[in-house]
Amino acid sequence: MENTNFVMIFLNWLMSFDRKALILAASAIGAGFAMIAGIGPGIGQGYAAGKGAEATSINPKTSKQAIMVMLIGAGIAETSGILALVVALILLFGNPLVGQSGSVLVIAASAIAAGISMIAGVGPGIGQGYAAGKGTESTGKRPKYQSTILRTMLLGQAVAQTTGIYALIVALVLMFSNPLLKLL
Amino acid sequence: MEGGFGPEIIFTIPGTDIPVTETVTNTWIIMAILILFSFLATRKFAHKPKGLQNFVELLVDGIYKFTAQTMGEDKVAFAPYIGTLMIYLIFANLAGLFAIRPPTADLNTTMGLALITFFMIHFFAIKRKGVGTYLKGFLDPFPALLVINIIGELATPISLSFRLFGNIVGGLIIMNLLYGGLAALSGSIGLPIPILQAAIPAPLHIYFDVFAGVLQSFIFAMLTMVFVSIAMD
Repeated sequence: MENTNFVMIFLNWLMSFDRKALILAASAIGAGFAMIAGIGPGIGQGYAAGKGAEATSINPKTSKQAIMVMLIGAGIAETSGILALVVALILLFGNPLVGQSGSVLVIAASAIAAGISMIAGVGPGIGQGYAAGKGTESTGKRPKYQSTILRTMLLGQAVAQTTGIYALIVALVLMFSNPLLKLL
Repeated sequence: MEGGFGPEIIFTIPGTDIPVTETVTNTWIIMAILILFSFLATRKFAHKPKGLQNFVELLVDGIYKFTAQTMGEDKVAFAPYIGTLMIYLIFANLAGLFAIRPPTADLNTTMGLALITFFMIHFFAIKRKGVGTYLKGFLDPFPALLVINIIGELATPISLSFRLFGNIVGGLIIMNLLYGGLAALSGSIGLPIPILQAAIPAPLHIYFDVFAGVLQSFIFAMLTMVFVSIAMD
């Protein structure tokens, strides 16, 4: 009789590997997944750069102020990508999961999940980039109000970062103090 | 980190087992440079500025103007802290150029600085507005948002510190990997000294150390100013 339960076949196949190899493989997948978050900052910073070009074309004399707002805004939009990079680097170079005791399946899944959770960074990246673009655009139109525009933009971007921080906290909890391992 | 990119332990405090890492010793080096500079620059001030005094006056004046512009004229008293923060961060982030490990590539440094900002935000908000108005601010715009507001406040130091730390440590690791790769490459084509390590990493140093380092120092100081002044208004 042929066994058709593919999930069980897969899990049994997984279990045929060495414990450490399994966790390291999962960490590799997790690190890769984490960096998908780079989509967000990419789109966002691109939008900000486009708005910077627009602001310069509208009012070349005040391009310096617009560029400053663009650089600051884009630098903040990069945060989610950097947070994803931190998680990926922890998984690659300082993996805390390798030495942990407990079910190998849970640990491996946690490594992948830590990476997947960082994909949330796509959202803040796009959103903050949009804010940076709008800030750049309005600075180009009304350079006199640069500091007020910058303040509003920074405040909004800081709030937009919150979901990315949630993702980071979940990723760090999964890696450093996994509550699921204690339930076993 | 056990992978080899964490700060090295230089020595442990005698009699205890408290480790003193590279981060601390490199911060001491930067502190010594800054103290020496301030001492030499301010030793003999003439009524008519010349030489170094011109530069120092320009710097101090620029920081005061920048703070007044960003935080408002009534909060110009923050300028000394903001200036110190910015100069320290620029030196710390550029330390990689002088082959010493940037202190900001350690979460302890950036988290410490972010916590100073965090306590400044709340201390000056209470001082300016009074405890009642301050606490009521958490119920704005409507009371159901209390939890979100509290989490939002707690997220501030986390995002501040991780942004700076991630940028610097990311650059540090990429540069380390590049130097290692170039050494291996020059070894594999039979060169006894890693000659490929010369000049090739320079553009990456300009991006990761100079551009990202200065931009992130500026963003950190800027956000500190904006958060404190918004909390006070």
